[in-house]
Amino acid sequence: MKTNNNTLLYILFIAVFAILLPAGYLSGLLSVNTISVWGRYFCFAIAALGIDLIWGYTGILSMCQAFFFCLGSYGIAMHLLLKKTAAAGAVLPDFMAWNKIETLPFFWQPFQSFGWSLVLCLLIPAVFAFIVGFVLFRSRIKGVYMAIITQALTLAMWLIFLRNETNLGGTNGLTDFSTILGFPLSSSSVKLGLYMISFAVLCGAYFCCYRITHSKFGRVLQAIRDSESRVSYTAYKVVDYKLAVFVVAALLAAVGGMLYLPQTGIITPGRMDVKASVEMVMWVALGGRGNLKGAVIGALLVNFLYSICTSLFPDSWLFILGFLFVITVLYFDKGFMGLVDSIKQRFSATRFKTPQTTH
Amino acid sequence: MNTSLRMLMCCFLLLPLFSAGQDSASIYTAQLLQPPADSVRTQAIGRLAALRIPATFPLLMAINDKKLYLLDQKAVTVDSKPTGEGTYRLYSLYPDNTLLTNSSGQPLLLPLSALKTVDIPRGDRLQLAGIAPLLNLFSNDAQKRTLAYSQLKNTGDSATLSILQAALAKETNADALRTGKDVLYAAQLYKATTTANANAYIDSIGDNWSDNAPVLLRNYAKAGFLNQETAHYAAAKAISLEKRYDSLQRIQNFFSGLSLGSILILIALGLSIVYGLAGIINMAHGEFMMIGAYTTYCTQVFFTHTLGIPQTDIFFLCALPLSFIVAGAMGWILERLVIRHLYAKPLESLLATWGVSLILIQTARLLFGDLTAVKTPQLLSGGWQVSPHLTLPYNRIFIIVLTLIMVLFTYLMLFRTRLGLQIRAVTQNRQMSACLGIETRRVASITFFIGSGLAGLAGCAITLIGNVVPDMGQTYIVDSFLVVVTGGVGKLAGTIFSGLGIGFFTKISESFFQAVYGKVFILLFIMLFMQYKPKGLFPDKGRIAED
Amino acid sequence: MRNAFLKQLPILLLGASALFSSCNNSAGKTGGADSAATSKETVKIGVLHSLSGTMAISEVSLKDAVQMAVDEINAKGGVLGKQIEPVIVDPASDWDLFAEKAKELLIDKKVSAVFGCWTSVSRKSVLPVFEQNNGLLFYPVQYEGEECSNSVIYTGATPNQQLIPAAEYLMSEKGGGYKKFYLLGTDYVFPRTANKILKAYLLSKGIPKENIIEEYTPFHHQDYQTIISKVKRFAADGKACILSTINGDSNVPFYKEFANQGLSSATCPIMAFSVAEDELRSMDTEFLVGHLAAWNYFQSNDLPENKKFVADFKAFCAKKGLPGGDKRVTDDPICWAYTGVYLWAKAAEKAGSFDVSKVRNALYGLDFPSPDGLVKMDPRNHHLAKPVVIGEIKPDGQFDIIWKSEGLVDPQPWSPLTSPDKDCDWVNHNGTYAKK
Repeated sequence: MKTNNNTLLYILFIAVFAILLPAGYLSGLLSVNTISVWGRYFCFAIAALGIDLIWGYTGILSMCQAFFFCLGSYGIAMHLLLKKTAAAGAVLPDFMAWNKIETLPFFWQPFQSFGWSLVLCLLIPAVFAFIVGFVLFRSRIKGVYMAIITQALTLAMWLIFLRNETNLGGTNGLTDFSTILGFPLSSSSVKLGLYMISFAVLCGAYFCCYRITHSKFGRVLQAIRDSESRVSYTAYKVVDYKLAVFVVAALLAAVGGMLYLPQTGIITPGRMDVKASVEMVMWVALGGRGNLKGAVIGALLVNFLYSICTSLFPDSWLFILGFLFVITVLYFDKGFMGLVDSIKQRFSATRFKTPQTTH
Repeated sequence: MNTSLRMLMCCFLLLPLFSAGQDSASIYTAQLLQPPADSVRTQAIGRLAALRIPATFPLLMAINDKKLYLLDQKAVTVDSKPTGEGTYRLYSLYPDNTLLTNSSGQPLLLPLSALKTVDIPRGDRLQLAGIAPLLNLFSNDAQKRTLAYSQLKNTGDSATLSILQAALAKETNADALRTGKDVLYAAQLYKATTTANANAYIDSIGDNWSDNAPVLLRNYAKAGFLNQETAHYAAAKAISLEKRYDSLQRIQNFFSGLSLGSILILIALGLSIVYGLAGIINMAHGEFMMIGAYTTYCTQVFFTHTLGIPQTDIFFLCALPLSFIVAGAMGWILERLVIRHLYAKPLESLLATWGVSLILIQTARLLFGDLTAVKTPQLLSGGWQVSPHLTLPYNRIFIIVLTLIMVLFTYLMLFRTRLGLQIRAVTQNRQMSACLGIETRRVASITFFIGSGLAGLAGCAITLIGNVVPDMGQTYIVDSFLVVVTGGVGKLAGTIFSGLGIGFFTKISESFFQAVYGKVFILLFIMLFMQYKPKGLFPDKGRIAED
Repeated sequence: MRNAFLKQLPILLLGASALFSSCNNSAGKTGGADSAATSKETVKIGVLHSLSGTMAISEVSLKDAVQMAVDEINAKGGVLGKQIEPVIVDPASDWDLFAEKAKELLIDKKVSAVFGCWTSVSRKSVLPVFEQNNGLLFYPVQYEGEECSNSVIYTGATPNQQLIPAAEYLMSEKGGGYKKFYLLGTDYVFPRTANKILKAYLLSKGIPKENIIEEYTPFHHQDYQTIISKVKRFAADGKACILSTINGDSNVPFYKEFANQGLSSATCPIMAFSVAEDELRSMDTEFLVGHLAAWNYFQSNDLPENKKFVADFKAFCAKKGLPGGDKRVTDDPICWAYTGVYLWAKAAEKAGSFDVSKVRNALYGLDFPSPDGLVKMDPRNHHLAKPVVIGEIKPDGQFDIIWKSEGLVDPQPWSPLTSPDKDCDWVNHNGTYAKK
C-alpha cells in the first residue's frame, strides 16, 4: 500500500507540474510569470533535498546551505554578466568599470566559458564544503556547535560578499543579464524551458537522494543520526560519511542556485543572510524532515505562502510564518508529511475496520 | 549673565586702547539702528567692522546672529533659548551690555512679539564675516569660543592678539582655554627672537598640549624659523607629544575592547545559563533584548508625556529594573507556552524560537513602527576627560559597571544560593536532579525568567549607545552565540573570558583592518580555536562530558 | 483504494489549477496588452515599496505619499477621465522578491506605471524587468547616478544635485572653509559612488590626497568607537569635517559616539546625505543638533505650496489612521514620491494616453509646481532639475535652511568628474553615449 501511495503521489506531482502548469500557460490561463515563479520554487526544493539529507537523515544541522546556494548562483551570474558585457563590446562589467577597475580580476577569467562555469559552480562549493566539513567533523564538532559555527561562517561570507572590494557587486549583487547560451532570458519560451529543466533536475535530484537514502550508505547516515558514538564503535569512519553527505548537500544547494539565477535575474548577498539560512532549514522542518517528499513539499509550500501572503497581508505575513514555525515544531515534529501520515492512519483506522487485511 | 559680565570687564580693560574710536562708534551705531538710507547702514556696519572696538562686539554679534531687536528705540538682544513660556531674557547692547531688569529688579521677560525686529540684509551681514571669529570670542557658547580661537590661528597682528589675550584672561572652559593658549603661544613663538625665548614657548605649547600642538611644532621645525637648534627642539617635542598621544590611544582602544566585551557578556550571560540548563538554543534571546529596549523607551515616554517630567534621569533608573522584569516575564510566558515542550531538543528549539522571534519583531514593528531612540540621561551623556586626549564616554563606563554588577549577581546566585545549586544540578543532569527531588520545571522557568531578564537589561543598556529598532536583537544574536560556544556551555567564567576576548580581539583587529575584515578574522579564529577546544574554553570533565 | 484515488485525480487537478491561478487572478480577467488604456473606469498603477522588513521604516512613508497624491488626483476627476487604482504589493525588503513583484505588476496586473523602490539594489533588481516588459518606474530617492535607463524616471537627486553643492558649501568661506574631509559611509553602492565623485571633486579643488580619508562600515554597524577615535585624530588640527553617507539605523550610534567622545558640530561638523526629517522624526535629536544635511527639499521650506503639502500630508495620515497620525513629517523622498505621481498624471494628460512610450515622450521638459517650487524634467533624459538646499538640524528634528542654490540645478546622471566622456540623452541618442 505504501508504494501505491507513493506512486500516486509521484503521478499527481508530475501531472500537475509537468503537464497541467505548462498546459495552463500555453492555453493562456496562466501567465509566464507564474511559470517562472514555480520554476524558482523548484530550485529551492532542490536545495531543500540537500538539507534533508544532511539534517533529516544525518542529524547535522548545517546553516551554510544558503551560502552554497549563493555560490552556485554567483558562478552562473558571473558567466552571464561576462557574456552580456562581451555582447555590448566591453571588457569589464558595468559595476567594475564604475569602481575604476582596469582589468578583469583573475577569478572572473574562467567564467568566460559556459563549460568552465558549470564545472566551477559545482567544484567551488564542493571543495569549500570539503574543507569546512573536514575541519569541523575532525574536531568532532556536532549538534548545536555545528549549527552555530556554520551560521557564523555564513555570516562571515555574507559580510565578505557585501564588500565592494571583493568585486562581486557588493550589496547590489549581480544583475541585468540578457542571454543564456545565446537564448534571450526575457523570452517566454526560454522561461518555460528553464522551468522544465528545473523540474527535470528536481525529479533527478529526488531520485538520486531516494537511492542514496535507501542504500547502505544512507542507512549508515541514519545510524549516525541516531547514535554517532555507537556507529564509530563499530568501526565505521563517521567523519568520512559525514563529509561525503556534507559535500553532496552542498552540491545540491549549488545546483539549485545555478538554476535559480537565470529565472530570477538577480543574486545578492541577501540570499545568504542569517534570515535566509534559517528559512531554508525551516522549509525542511515544515515539510517533514527525514522525509524527502516532505523537503520538496515544504520548500514549495513555504515559498508559495510567502509569495501569496506578501501580496495579500503585507502586515501580518510574518505572524503567519512565525506561528507556522512554532506550531509545526511543537505539534507536528514530523512536519507536513507527518501530519498527512497521521491523518491517513486515523482515516484508514476508522474507515477500514480491518487494516491488517489490506496489506 | 556671566558672559555679559565678562564682556563688560574686557570692554573696560580695553577701553583706553580704543578711546579714540569710541566717539565715532556711537555715531555709527546710531546710523545703523535708524539709517536714513540703506547705503548709510551698509557703510556704518562696514566701519564698525573695520574699527574692531570690543564695546561694539555684542551689537555686531547680535547682527551676525540675526538677533537684533529694538525695545523703545534701544538695541537689545535675546537669550538663545526661551525661558519656558515663550518669553526671553533681554540684554542691552550698546554702549553697555547688561541684562535688562524690570522695576522690581527681576529679569525682564518678554515674548519676541513685543520686540521690533531689526532686519539687516544678508549683504550687510556678510561684511562681518571677516571679524566673526573676534565676535565669537565673546560668545556665551563655549564651543563657539573654541571655534573662534582656532579661527584666529596664523594671525600675527598685535591688535587681534591683545583682544585674544583679554578674552583668554576670562576664559573658563578648559577646551577653549587650551585652544586659545595654543594660538597665542604660536603667535609669540613666531615672534620670538632668542633661542631661549623660543624654547620656552615650545615648552609652553608642549605643556598646553592642544590637539593642534604636534602639527604646529612640526611646521615650525620645518620652517626653520629662528635657528637649527630651536627647529630640532620643536621637532623633538612634537615626537614626544605624538608618542604620548599614541599611548593614550592604546588606552582608548583597550577601553573600547572592554566596552564591546562587556556588552557581549551582558547579552550572552542569560543565553549561556538558559542554554546550559535547558539545552535550548534561544534564537529569540535577541528579541528579549529588544523588549528591554522598548520597555526603556516606553518608560521614557510615560515619564515625559504622561507624568510630564521631562529632562530627568529618573526614568532610566526606573527602566533598569522594569526592563528586567518585563523581558523576564515575557521569557517566562514563552517558557510556559513553547520551550517547555522542547527540553533537550536544541535543534527543534532553534526553529521554534526563530518563529517566536519573527512574531515578536513584527509585533514590535506594528506597535512602535518607527525608528525610535531613547534619550540618553543627562548624567550619562558626555565623557570623563581623563586627560586632554583621552575621553571615556560615561555611557560605556556605565555599561561596564552594570556588566560587572550583573556578573557578580549571577555568580552569587549560581554559587551562593539554593536556587543556584539546583540550577547547576539540573544543568549537569536533568533526570538525576529530578530523582533527587528537585522540581526541574520550576527551576527551568525561574532560570528562563532570569536569563530573559538579563537580556532585557542588556537591551536597556544598549539604548545608551544605539537605537531601538524592532530587529535590533538580530544584530547581536550570532555574536552572543559565538561567545557562548567559545566559552563553553553554561560556564560563567567561560562566558566572561570569551566575551572579553572577542571584544578585545575585535578592537585590535579593527585598528589594523576595516571593521568588516576584523569580524571575518574573528570568525575564522574561533573556527580554528574550536579545533583544539571543541567544547569551549572550560569543558566539562569526566563522564558527564560525553552525551 | 487505488481506483478511488484515480477517480479523485481529475478533481484534485482542477483544484490545484484553481490554486495556481488564484495567485495571479487578473491575467485571465483583464487580458490583452492595451487593457489598461481601454478598461472602462480606472487606470492601474503599481506601488512597489517594502511594507515589512528592514526597509519598511523608510519606504512606508513613500507608499503613503503616493497614496495621497492618487487620492488628490482622483478627487479632482482622475487622469484622462479615469480614476487611478493603485495596486500595492509588499516586496518585504527582499531584493529577489522585488523582481518577482515587479513582474507580477507589469505582466499580471498590467499597470501603466510603477512608483517604488528605495535602495539602489532594489532598483537594480527590477531594472531588467522594466526594460524587458516596457514598464515605467518612478524612482523617488537620491541615487548614485551612472545609470540612464529608458524605463526609469529618476525624481530623486543625481550626485551633482546633492553631493557637490554640499562639498562646495563646506569649502566656502561662509560654510567654514574646511580643508580636511573624512568620507564615511555604509558599504553599498551609493556611498561608494558618492565618495568616488566627492573625492574626484575635492582633488580637483586642490585638496591634497592625505586630507581625504574614505571608510566604510557594514549595514547595521553599531560600534563606532574605533572610527570616532580615528576621526578625532584626523580632526585634531581643525578645519576637518565629515561627509557621511551612513545609512539607516547606524546613524544613532554614530552620532552618539561622536558627541560622547567630545567632538561637536563646531569643531567637526557632519554633513549627512542620508538623514532626513522622516528618520529624525522620533530619534533622539540631542546629539544631532547643529550638524548638517544636504537635500533638494526640506519640510521647513516656506513656500505656500509646501505649507499646504505638509498640512495635507499630516491631515491625510491622521485621517487614514496611519501610524504617527498628524505628527508625521515630510522629507525629500516623500516630496519626490508625491511629485512623481503628479508628473506621471500630467504627462499622461499631455500625451492623451497611458501608453508608456507616449507618456515618456511627454515627460521630457515637463514642469510641475511641486511642494519644492517649480521643478522641470530634463529635456533629454529622465531626471529632474530642482533646487539644492543645505540645512542645519534643529532640536525638533526639522532643518534650518542655511543655503539654497540659485534656481534649479540641472541633473547630471554621469558625473563629469568621474565619467567625463559619458552623457545621457534619450532624445538625440540612444541613452548613454560617448561625448566627443
